[in-house]
Amino acid sequence: MIESGDDKGFKPASYERIVLKNASEYYYLKIYLEFQEVGISLNAVEFKQLIISALKRLHGEVGAALPVDVLSYEEKTLLAILRVPITGLVKLWSALTLLDSYQNRKCAFRVIQTSPFLLALAGNSRELVLD
Amino acid sequence: MFVPLRWLRETPRHLLVCERSHVRHERSRHASHVRDHAFNCRVSFLIPDCGIVPEAFKSAVAGLGEYYLVKNLSLHELVTEEFINTFVKKGSCYALTYNTRIDQDNTAALLPTGKLILSVDKDTYEELGLQGHPSRYSGKKPMRYIITLDLSESTFGPDSKKHKRIIWALKEKKPLEFDFLLAWHHTGSEESILMSYFSKNQIQALQPKVTFSTLRNVQCPVLDNNKLKGEPEAACSAQEFFEWLGAILSCVGLENTPSSFLSTYSCPQPSTFVEQVLLCTITGFILPEKIICLLEQICCYFEEPKLAHWISLVVHGFADSPVSWRECEHGFLKGGENLYNLVIFRSLDYWLQMAVGAHDDCP
Repeated sequence: MIESGDDKGFKPASYERIVLKNASEYYYLKIYLEFQEVGISLNAVEFKQLIISALKRLHGEVGAALPVDVLSYEEKTLLAILRVPITGLVKLWSALTLLDSYQNRKCAFRVIQTSPFLLALAGNSRELVLD
Repeated sequence: MFVPLRWLRETPRHLLVCERSHVRHERSRHASHVRDHAFNCRVSFLIPDCGIVPEAFKSAVAGLGEYYLVKNLSLHELVTEEFINTFVKKGSCYALTYNTRIDQDNTAALLPTGKLILSVDKDTYEELGLQGHPSRYSGKKPMRYIITLDLSESTFGPDSKKHKRIIWALKEKKPLEFDFLLAWHHTGSEESILMSYFSKNQIQALQPKVTFSTLRNVQCPVLDNNKLKGEPEAACSAQEFFEWLGAILSCVGLENTPSSFLSTYSCPQPSTFVEQVLLCTITGFILPEKIICLLEQICCYFEEPKLAHWISLVVHGFADSPVSWRECEHGFLKGGENLYNLVIFRSLDYWLQMAVGAHDDCP
């Protein structure tokens, strides 16, 4: 949908409006990995490998081939932002939910926030703590 | 045709609305879009090629004003005649329930227009006995209802039947208690009136949290203010820019190759390297009036020649507010996102990008 109009008073001030419906190709997830024990650390590569193995376990080779991007990862907090093509969101989410261990140690992925807009993950009102 | 498990592949609808016009244009709607988005939890602005915080911004940020957190406030206190006459009818009064979730709890919001909007579950709705309508997003068997009370209505007098019934419903029939975020914008008298008015309750005055930071050597997309859709090899589109902005605010690395293992995200092309970018983030309960003041400062910034081609102002709304823009119903579903970004160009042309999730009207 495009609406536009020109105005003579301001030369550059033509008006344009575009509505992009379902235009995002990707979905973004903010997740963290929780361990039952304390003091376990993973580097970014191991973290991504864990996600791929989770996908492979639930969805087989097709799942493992899903192009998941680890956009950011913090080793200290095990907090990460993932990007996945929109058609693979349910596959990724289910694989993350059903993963229960890393090297025989119990763990779980917690999904904190999801959005089709990466910018939405920059601000989460549910994490707003007022003191 | 019935496609089994179609929902497994399809994600909920989401909208990104992009508008382009000029800030000083008399029919420009950017200010009304800002004003209509009542509940904002985070405001960030990004100034490329800027190392030191300009004084005007410092004072604008310092003048954001305080807001209040009132604990365990009975909802009927917001519909008393005294409250309406002191706050609702004089200036703009904003209130939003704090730590309530729109997809599971009862929530309430008071808009500056004097409308009190309650989003309640089915049981509460039936117990309350106030007139409302089913939520637009609760399917065939409504489990959530929306009640809108217009407090500034002339028929809402202290002796009217309607007022008596509402007070009875909220005080005796089904007393509702919430923690409220409150703010009052008005001209004239002192601000601490809210504090003294609710002195019997546990009230706390809060200041928005402000952080300034400088990002070094940032890859910035090239924009052309006349081309929202961008142009191959000349300018990036509004949608690409929106994603890039998310990457910058979430500290995502931009320099990945298509073959790298971790991530393949890279800055949209064409791009330029900017030595330093100033990023300011404000969190709290931020009123639209204050955002308009910030916007004015941004426009004034470009009155003198500057290196920056544009400044971006990002505003995140509350995911659990019962409204997003105006009185449009808002729901959570998977993310509850309702946010907008204003890009002000050197020529004072602007781009406004508004993003909403599945449970929202087109802004």
